[in-house]
Amino acid sequence: MPQIFTASADTRLRTAALLLAVVFVVSLLFTAGFMNSTYVTSVGWVVTQPVPFSHEHHVGGLGLDCRYCHASVEVSAQASLPATHVCMTCHSQIWTGAPVLAPVRASLADNKPLHWQRVARLPDYVYFNHSIHISRGIACVECHGRVDQMPLLARGKPFTMEFCLDCHRDPGPHLRPRDQVTRMDWTGWHQDPKVAHEQLKAFGIQPDKLTNCYICHR
Amino acid sequence: MEREQAGPPSFNRRSLLQAMAASLALAAANGRRAEADERALPYVNAPEYVVPGKPKWYATSVRFAGYLQPVLGKSIAGRPVKLEGNDQHPATGGATDLFIQAALLGLYDPDRSQVPLHLGQPATWAAFDTDVFRLTAEIDRTQGQGFRLLTGAVSSPTLLRQIGDMQKRWPGMRWHVTEPINEDERLEATGRVFGRPLQMLPDFSAPAAIVSLDDDFLGPGPRQAMQARAWSKRQPRIFMAEPTPSATGTRAGERLIVPSARVQVLAQAIALGVGMTGVAAADLTAPEKKWVDDAVGALGAGNGLVTLGALYDAALHALVLLINERLGSFGKALRFTDPILAAPPDGKDSLAVLVDDMKAGRVTTLLILEAEPLQATPAALDFRTALEKVAFSVHGGLYADATANACHWHLPLQHELESWTDGRAPDGTVAIVQPLIRPFLNVRSPHVVLDRWLGGTASDHDLVQASWQTGWQEALLAGFVADSAPAAVTPTVRDRTVPLPQVPSSDGLVVEVRPDATQWDGRYLHNSWLQETPKPLIQATWGNVILVSPALARERALSNGDELSLRFGNGELLGAAWIMPGQEPHTLTIGVPDSFGFLDSRRQAGVRLEKTGKTRVIASSQPIQDMGEFDYVRTVESGGEAAAQHKDDVSFYPPRKWDSPSWGMSIDLDRCIGCNACSVACMAENNVPVVGAELVAHGRQMHWLRIDHYTEGEADAPRHHFQPVPCMQCEQAPCEMGCPVNAAVHSPDGLNLQVYNRCIGTRTCSAYCPYKVRRFNWFEYTGDDPDSIRAMRNPDVTVRSRGVMEKCTYCIQRISGARIAAKIAGRPIHDGEVVTACQQACPTQAIVFGDITDPNSAVSKRKASPRNYSLLEEANTRPRTTYLARVRK
Repeated sequence: MPQIFTASADTRLRTAALLLAVVFVVSLLFTAGFMNSTYVTSVGWVVTQPVPFSHEHHVGGLGLDCRYCHASVEVSAQASLPATHVCMTCHSQIWTGAPVLAPVRASLADNKPLHWQRVARLPDYVYFNHSIHISRGIACVECHGRVDQMPLLARGKPFTMEFCLDCHRDPGPHLRPRDQVTRMDWTGWHQDPKVAHEQLKAFGIQPDKLTNCYICHR
Repeated sequence: MEREQAGPPSFNRRSLLQAMAASLALAAANGRRAEADERALPYVNAPEYVVPGKPKWYATSVRFAGYLQPVLGKSIAGRPVKLEGNDQHPATGGATDLFIQAALLGLYDPDRSQVPLHLGQPATWAAFDTDVFRLTAEIDRTQGQGFRLLTGAVSSPTLLRQIGDMQKRWPGMRWHVTEPINEDERLEATGRVFGRPLQMLPDFSAPAAIVSLDDDFLGPGPRQAMQARAWSKRQPRIFMAEPTPSATGTRAGERLIVPSARVQVLAQAIALGVGMTGVAAADLTAPEKKWVDDAVGALGAGNGLVTLGALYDAALHALVLLINERLGSFGKALRFTDPILAAPPDGKDSLAVLVDDMKAGRVTTLLILEAEPLQATPAALDFRTALEKVAFSVHGGLYADATANACHWHLPLQHELESWTDGRAPDGTVAIVQPLIRPFLNVRSPHVVLDRWLGGTASDHDLVQASWQTGWQEALLAGFVADSAPAAVTPTVRDRTVPLPQVPSSDGLVVEVRPDATQWDGRYLHNSWLQETPKPLIQATWGNVILVSPALARERALSNGDELSLRFGNGELLGAAWIMPGQEPHTLTIGVPDSFGFLDSRRQAGVRLEKTGKTRVIASSQPIQDMGEFDYVRTVESGGEAAAQHKDDVSFYPPRKWDSPSWGMSIDLDRCIGCNACSVACMAENNVPVVGAELVAHGRQMHWLRIDHYTEGEADAPRHHFQPVPCMQCEQAPCEMGCPVNAAVHSPDGLNLQVYNRCIGTRTCSAYCPYKVRRFNWFEYTGDDPDSIRAMRNPDVTVRSRGVMEKCTYCIQRISGARIAAKIAGRPIHDGEVVTACQQACPTQAIVFGDITDPNSAVSKRKASPRNYSLLEEANTRPRTTYLARVRK
């Protein structure tokens, strides 16, 4: 019988199989790395806005509280963005002619809303409720990062489900007193695990129920 | 990709790669679309009291056949997403019906007429205003001779004021009303007996026994919410005599199946039985005699009510009035007020007079507002020919249908949910209707149309406000004007003579015409929620059927779906046969919409029936309705008796202790009248898609909550039952066990959850579910929704895509909202704080939902009743949704 396969056929086959396995593992690693990279999570990627609003100046420099603009964060699921009117409470008196604020003035004059590009957006199937988080002592910076250090806003934390679950599984280290939630630079309880555990009870948080699907999804 | 000639793509390597690249680009583009709304548009000037993310509730009403149905409209981001009952309203106390729930879709219907049409071509309001301006000069000259206004039934004080203004300016003008399903005979009867027409307002919570002569007072209609709620308070015993099964008949303790011709004889017998004189005796058959004796006995115990169906002759209504007088129910179970709907000058002959005048050429200008005479009047009237003789005809309505196309002008009108208007609820209470959204189409309110016709420039808001000088704010807050119901009248009988007509012939087959349970008189043709809602007792969707009795079916060898031809005179009706257990042997039932082309009265004897030989597919949601040996719906002999249980309490595991709150639901089958308000409310609340007739015929309807209809006993005289079936939220759920990807999980508060993102569409859960409450998205039902439908969707509930399973969630969005609100306030969830959509909608309060770990909650008390049982107990699923057995009355 003539030989169908050459002498090196085995070697070639094994090399190909090994290569396939390596490629498979590498592609898995690549996908995992890619999905956790900022290409997908957008962490640190600055988003272009119609007006280059600087949180660093307004929050860090001037000391405005988050709730001055994001007014419904304590009562509603949405934190909400400020109406043009809110910007104009100050900017009708200061920087009144600044070209950079022209879109704001135009918005008020034409009665057309500003088209802000959303930074902290979750998918539609996640039903996130701000008010319960604020009420339970989760600070704004826990999820949104140090906006007082951002001249232009970018996502501070990756909004992956893993990120949410990390806290939901163990909320203790992320808690702080209810009246300190909007402070940028508060440290206090995270260092002491005992305090964290006591605060869990004080806030009435039950971590074993927090990881259930129905808490966030419907 | 350029091609030399058309034809199927040739799959060489190049074109294949090109096709792949194109589809990838398309997919990317599609993905881009899903991510596209990454913008946020806040207010420019935020209105006061608006918290983004929190809904606002407004008290308003929707209109049905001239009456207002009070609702609380839930508005999110400036648009209504749900209608609920107004629990403070004196008439309904929060009850709704399916027409109220489906009114939401009427606002957002993409089929709605969007531009004025002139001779079928899109035109502008300015062009119409110009035409009217020229026309009114002519009408002024003739003092209104030849100008007619045709509307549906009207109870709106503002509209009546405007019509009055028109009549003052143009004395020759006349107003006509066409409302196919009405109470004209009752009004004529009261006019005859009391000397002036009065509105009869029976109070179904007052009597101890109700004798109903073919009056489906729990059935569909503008009074259903009010009457069903009243009846449900004490659930008095009902004696029913009817030729065709009805919702009220299913609640009757004794149901007599008789042709409608015998109703007169029964009324006479009852009159004699309660001791009236001067009434002719009549021969009764043995079953009739027994029924009459039992009925009279129940009435004789004091505090009874006799009621007669609206479509019977005025003379018979007069007799029934006298029977009620004899029973002493005037002022108690039967109240009278001045008529609630305004009567047009020609009364019940209004439409006939108009058509006569049109045919004689006496009508030069016809304005039709919110009436559909070409679709909803008998063909014998020949409105189309009459309309051709009118020089200038204008139709205003929500849809551009046949009537619109036959008129010179069609005007798109506003829906009540985007309008200022007013009117009266079925008890006569006045309400002001306020809009929940600014009109998003190029539409006008009927008030504005009339005002412009008169040369005015007011908005509908100003026109309505002009009618209501005081109490405006209070009326808007409450949803009604307090104490505005007309005062009760204590009438005195002036005329005791009751000239009864001859008993109508029952020769051959008799066709009874009944209001369509989901289409009413055909006006809801475009409303897909109502089209897809199965008609109670029949379970047919997307079209109507001809009901035949089992006896007739045996005699003529008919089966379900056989196409029948009914002939009378020159009219013919083709329809699918449906064998209706409990139907009178020689009676056929058709719906009002089918009757227009065929008959011109509500009852016709001597109809000929033939099979055409063809069959029609009936899109039925429940092909098998005979309960047979099973006991899905159980009956107990008295209220204290325990329902049959076959529990098999075998389990390896110790009983689980649930933390509070743990949710459960109890459905009282004695109260359920099969109205389907709960089913449509669930569709509105949970973004449930509509699938269409073909898929319903395959059993693929998406209703999360369905009403099953069962007949028990022999087909000729069975008992009828309704059973709402939501997800049972089983503690031992087979679906959770079967799902290969763990998309069906259990929450700590007792809910069976469906995680859409995990679902890969194996449908194992549905196969394992013994109740078949899990619905699968076989196709992409929601992906290409028009913008107005997307605006209607509830943002608190996920809109499901193709390939995922969905089911009732016990309104988890409401539970979550209550849970968060309670946590923030630092308190437990109160009983009654979470009300599911179905529970809220139910007019008879059959559904109760709450915390089963709290022994004092309403649901725990219901479940503690001996009548409590679970469906399919032998499956050992431990369902959280349980039922209360019916009580044999």
